[in-house]
Amino acid sequence: MKISHKIIFANVFNVLLIILTGIFSYHLLDLVLTKLRFTEIADDLNKSFLEMRLSEKNYFLYGDGAALPDILQKLSESKSLIEETKDDIVKATGEENFQQLNESLEAYREAIESAQSGGEAGEALDESQPQEAENAKAKAVEASVREAGQKLREFSSRITRLERTNVNDIISGSRTGLLTSLVVILIPAIAVGQLIARRMLGSFKEIEKAAHSISEGNFSKVELKVSSDELGSVIKAINSMSEELSNREEIIIQSKKLASIGILTAGVAHELGNPLNNISMLAQGYRELYDSLSREERLNFMVEVEEETERIKEIVKNLLDFSKPKEAHLIKMGINAVIEKSLKLVQNMICICNIEVHLCLSDGLPLVMLDVHQIQEVFINLLTNAIQAGSPGDAITVTSRPGEDGGGVEVEIRDNGRGIPAEHLPHVFDPFFTTRGTSGTGLGLFVSYGIIKNHHGSIDVTSEVGKGACFTMRFPACTEGDRN
Amino acid sequence: MANYRIMVIDDENVVGRMIKAVIEQDPEYTVETFLNATPALSRLKEEKFDVVITDLKMKGLDGMDVLRHVKQDSPGTKVIMITAFASLDSAIEAMRGKVDDFFPKPVKIKELKECIRRLLGN
Ligand SMILES: Nc1ncnc2c1ncn2[C@@H]1O[C@H](COP(=O)(O)OP(=O)(O)OP(=O)(O)O)[C@@H](O)[C@H]1O
Ligand SMILES: [Mg+2]
Repeated sequence: MKISHKIIFANVFNVLLIILTGIFSYHLLDLVLTKLRFTEIADDLNKSFLEMRLSEKNYFLYGDGAALPDILQKLSESKSLIEETKDDIVKATGEENFQQLNESLEAYREAIESAQSGGEAGEALDESQPQEAENAKAKAVEASVREAGQKLREFSSRITRLERTNVNDIISGSRTGLLTSLVVILIPAIAVGQLIARRMLGSFKEIEKAAHSISEGNFSKVELKVSSDELGSVIKAINSMSEELSNREEIIIQSKKLASIGILTAGVAHELGNPLNNISMLAQGYRELYDSLSREERLNFMVEVEEETERIKEIVKNLLDFSKPKEAHLIKMGINAVIEKSLKLVQNMICICNIEVHLCLSDGLPLVMLDVHQIQEVFINLLTNAIQAGSPGDAITVTSRPGEDGGGVEVEIRDNGRGIPAEHLPHVFDPFFTTRGTSGTGLGLFVSYGIIKNHHGSIDVTSEVGKGACFTMRFPACTEGDRN
Repeated sequence: MANYRIMVIDDENVVGRMIKAVIEQDPEYTVETFLNATPALSRLKEEKFDVVITDLKMKGLDGMDVLRHVKQDSPGTKVIMITAFASLDSAIEAMRGKVDDFFPKPVKIKELKECIRRLLGN
C-alpha cells in the first residue's frame, strides 16, 4: 500500500472515530437536556401538586369552598402543561409513566369532582340528610381525595427522583465514554503514526545505503526489495540510475580505451620518429663521409643502423602485443608454477645484476584460470622492472598467498630499489611512460595491466622513493564451471 | 676566415654525432654536442655560440626551455628546433616567430647546413 494511502487511511479512521464520539456525546447531551427539561416540568408539576394539596387541606380542615374549584383550575393547568410537554415527558420517562401520570391526574380530578358534587349536595340536602350519614360520606370522599392526591404527588416525586439519578448516571457514564473514546482515538493515531514512521525510516535507511554504495562507485544494480509505496518508486529510480551509471561506466572505459589508442598512436609515432631519424642521419652521414671513412668505421655505421632497426622492431612488437591481444588460452593452473617458470627466464639477468630473490610461495592455493604465456610475460615485465630499479645487493621478494577476501590468489612482487616518485605513480601503467629514456619503451606495465584485466584480475602499485616498489596482483579463483 | 660555433642538443647521440661529422667537414664550423639541455645551457653561459640546434622533446629541460634561455641570455644566437614529424600543429604554431627555423624529423643534414649558412648571412 502506498504511504499516502496509509496516511489517508489512518486519518479517515481517526476522523470516523471522532465523528462517532461526537455523535455519541451529542446524543448523551441531548438525553441529559431532555431529562433536565423533564425535571423542570416535573418541578413545576410538583409545585402545583403541592399547592393542590394545600388547597385540599384548606377545604377539608376549614371547609374553604373556593378551594376545590381552585384545585380543579390547577389540575386543568397541569393537564394542559402535561399535554404540551408530552413529547419531552415521554422521551424522558417513557410512554408507560406518562400514561400513569395522566391516570393519577385523572383519578385525582375525579376524586375532587366527586368531593365538590358531594359538598354541593350536602349543602343542598343539609336539612334532609341525617348528620351521621353526611359525615360518613364526607369522610369517605375526603379519604379518597387524600389518597389520590397522595398518589399523584408520590408518583411525580418518584419519577423526578428517578430522572435525577438517571441524569447523574448519564453524565458520569458519558464521562467514562468520552475518556474511553479519547483513548480509542489516541492509541490508533499514535500507533499508526509510529508504524508509518518506522516503515518510512526503514525504507529511507535502505535508500541511504544504496546511495552510499553508488557514491562509492559500486554501480552494480542496487539489490533493494521494491516495496509498493512511494519509496518503492524511489528505489526503482535509484536502481535504474545505477544501471544507467554502470552502462555509462562501460562507455567511459570504452572511451578511455579509445583515448589510450590515441595516446598509443601518438606515442608510436614519436617512438618510431627517433630511430627513423637516427637511421636517416646515419645514412646521410655515411654518404657524406664515405670517402674519409675507414672500412671499420663504415661497418660500424651499418651496425648502428641495425641497432636502430632493432629498436623499431621492439616498439612494433610491443604495439602488436597490445593492439592485438592474442586470444588467451585459459587453463586451470597453480600460480606458483608460473612464478617459478618466469623466475627461471630472468635468472640470467638476476645473476648479472647481483640481485637476491626471496620466494614466499603458499601451498594449497586455489587454482586459477590463466594463459601461462601471458601471465609469464606479466611476471617477467615486473621482475625486469624490479631488477632495473635495483642496484647490486638489492633484493626482490615474490610472494603468493590466498586472496584477502577469501577467494582467489594474490601475488606480490616487492623490491627495495629506488622506488617510484609520487608524481609518477598514477602514470606508470600509461603507454610509453618510461623514465629509462631511450632504453625503455614504457609499454611493459601497460601491456601487463591489459593482460591482468583480461584475466578478470587487478594490479596495483605502492611505492616510497628510496625504499622500493611493490606490485600486487589479484586473480579470481576458478569456479566449478571452468574447464580444466 | 670566420669561425662559427654551433651547438647541437639532442638526447639521441647519433643525431649530434652525424651533424657534427658532416658539418665540421667545412672548417668554418665548430660543433659541440650535448645529450642534455642543462649542461648545454651552462656551456652557453661561458661561450658565445652562433647557432643552437635543439630537439624539442627531451627529458628534463626541453627545446622550449632552451629557446627561452638562449633568447634571454644571448639574443644574437640563432635557434633551430628539431621536432618529431608527428608534433602537434599547435606546438609548431607556438614556435613560429620565436625560433629562427625548425626541422621535422628525419632531418636532412644538407638542408640544415643550408639553413645555418643562410642564418649566418653568407
Ligand atoms: N619496480 C620499480 N621500481 C621503480 N620504478 C619502476 C618500477 N617498475 C616500474 N617503474 C617505473 O615505471 C616506468 C614504466 O615501466 P614500464 O615497465 O611500463 O616501462 P619501462 O620499464 O620503462 O620500459 P620497458 O618495460 O618497455 O622496457 C619505468 O620507466 C619506471 O620509471
Ligand atoms: Mg619495464
